[in-house]
Amino acid sequence: MKKLEKNFTKMLLGWEFRATTLDNERGIFMNRTRVLLSAVALLLATGAMPAAADDIVLGGSAPMSGAQAEFGQSQIDGAQLYFDQLNEKGGIKGNKVVFRALDDRADPRQGTLVAQQFCDDNAVIGVIGHMNSGVTMPALDIYSECGMPQVVPATNPELMRMGFKTVVRPVANDFVQGALPAKYVTEKLGLKKAVLVHDKTVFGQGIAGVFKDNFEAGGGTVAGTFGANPEDVDFSALIASIKLQNPDVVYMGAGMPQLALFLKQMREQGLKAQFIGPDIGFTVDFITQVGAASAEGALMTFQLPPYDSSPELKDFAERHQARFGRAPGPYASLGFANAQVMAAAVEKAETLDREGVLAQLHGVTVDTLLGPVAFDDNGENTTAPMYLYVVKDGKFELVKE
Amino acid sequence: MLDYLLQQLIFALAIGAIYGLIALGYTMVYGVMRLINFAHGEFFMLGPYVYTFIFSGFIGLGGLAPALDSVIAIVASFVIVGLLGVAIERFAYRPLRAYGRLAPMLSALGMSIVLQSAVRVTIGPQPEHFPAIVPSQPIAALGGMVTTVQLGILAAAILLMVGMALFVNGTRLGIWIRAASESWTTSSLLGIRVNRAVSLVFFIGPGLGAMAGIMYASYYGIMQPTMGSVIGLKAFTAAILGGIGSIPGAMLGGFLLGAIETLGTAFLPLISGGLIGTEYRDVFAFAVLILILLFKPAGLLGETVSEETTVAKKDY
Repeated sequence: MKKLEKNFTKMLLGWEFRATTLDNERGIFMNRTRVLLSAVALLLATGAMPAAADDIVLGGSAPMSGAQAEFGQSQIDGAQLYFDQLNEKGGIKGNKVVFRALDDRADPRQGTLVAQQFCDDNAVIGVIGHMNSGVTMPALDIYSECGMPQVVPATNPELMRMGFKTVVRPVANDFVQGALPAKYVTEKLGLKKAVLVHDKTVFGQGIAGVFKDNFEAGGGTVAGTFGANPEDVDFSALIASIKLQNPDVVYMGAGMPQLALFLKQMREQGLKAQFIGPDIGFTVDFITQVGAASAEGALMTFQLPPYDSSPELKDFAERHQARFGRAPGPYASLGFANAQVMAAAVEKAETLDREGVLAQLHGVTVDTLLGPVAFDDNGENTTAPMYLYVVKDGKFELVKE
Repeated sequence: MLDYLLQQLIFALAIGAIYGLIALGYTMVYGVMRLINFAHGEFFMLGPYVYTFIFSGFIGLGGLAPALDSVIAIVASFVIVGLLGVAIERFAYRPLRAYGRLAPMLSALGMSIVLQSAVRVTIGPQPEHFPAIVPSQPIAALGGMVTTVQLGILAAAILLMVGMALFVNGTRLGIWIRAASESWTTSSLLGIRVNRAVSLVFFIGPGLGAMAGIMYASYYGIMQPTMGSVIGLKAFTAAILGGIGSIPGAMLGGFLLGAIETLGTAFLPLISGGLIGTEYRDVFAFAVLILILLFKPAGLLGETVSEETTVAKKDY
């Protein structure tokens, strides 16, 4: 649709150009036609959502349909909530903020299309996205080429080490995510023998490797590393062979529902080891699919604190409920904080365009909903927190340090 | 070590039984129609969804005894998915019969996408929790451990397979199917209604697929719209391995593929001293498959004939 509009605009502009050269002498009449045509072209170019000329347009993208929609939509909601709040107070420098959210379906191909769309629309001066590392990676190139300031919610460590100058990341990366549980089980629980399972994806294999390094640095030994297919559902043979190693800890770098299936089958076979998983498992589905009894005691890392852990977050949850009629989803507070970072950069910008925002993006320091944010040379947050949760009585509960 | 081997064999039997049941559907359709029914994996997926729909409907209406509700829902899933199979054959495959083999095959691929998308759109793409029909209780056996669910799957699958073999070899309707698979022209000259035989096959095959789907969902505790794709491919492989068109071949192929996969996971790291990890399971399984096909191109129980196909199914 967008493409069609663009072609149509081009056609009209071309006609206008030809008309001017051919009928130059007709003067006033042609001028009026030209103005009319340009107005039509402008109207078509701005598309279905006509933003007023001085509105600040920011883009956001995450999976809003498909298996990960719950996570993606929560981020978009959180950001929307902040921009709504900002607009109630008069926007940024008196300009209203328009937040334009597009669905990337957790699909790298769709993600690059979305990136291109934001780049082509000159009104968009900043983007918050994407949620998945695999989607963000190919899109980085496109955003960087059109000088788009980008706040990244994805967590793969590599993303910030690829040399792009247009990105910052307020959220903790997977180095922090793999390190925290390794430190916890070696120091607090005194468990020394681990087995690693991963699903052979960039994320799963990567985070299992980070856990391994930190576990060994803490004095533990890794008795074995096992790979499975990302869409496997039967782990019984694998678990029987893990049982031979008799580990204290099983760390699994994989997605859902594999995390749940693995733990369920592990308990069915009577393997009692401490189970640890990454952020993807931080959802109620994990507990229902494993069964509350079998899930009891499982550890899960997540980048965000629970919504009842501070007065600000409680207030946030209430406002979310009032605005959308439902409790905030898993990544809502992250979406809110990312929007705060982006808005702070826009606020400081001398000119309200991509260059202006970009010049301020790396130097920005904000006190967000999730704590203070400041960026290092790579664009990583210098103080990004990470939280450890344990399943207790069928619910996730924060592990106090 | 022997305990470990026995334990792994139990797992192999459970997953092999499910592969075998799905493979039956592929092989029966191929036997009668020479068509690879790519939509078969979706019948497998529909099984647990239809079951859940009917079962929760019963509970909503007050229900009878829980065990009876389950049985009724299982039978109803067989019938509903079976009838859907018949309808799909009637409207998506039969009109294309005259246009060679490629057209119905493409139609089957299309049906697969249609069915999967329909579930994805109406029910949602996320994996849903599927409560076990039989409560999972571990039983110590032969130095290993087997759960009641695994035993149930094995018993039900063997029952269905034996019933299937008796039906095809010992009843009048079975004779129709066997005759149609030999030659359509000859059997219709002898007064057999070939189209009825085809419909019958398209009732039983998808019905068995739905049964396998219910067992599978009950075993792993989840169902999702994409679950038929991967396992459908595996079962198709099992059907080829056993000799496509052959009913005992499909069963044998299913158990064999289950065994190769499980033992690959169990023993590759042990034998190679950790050098080859469990991630090579599929490489190993398909290498074995290629090796078998090199020596027996028609599959283990298939027969090579010089007729239009290189494969025939004389084992009916």
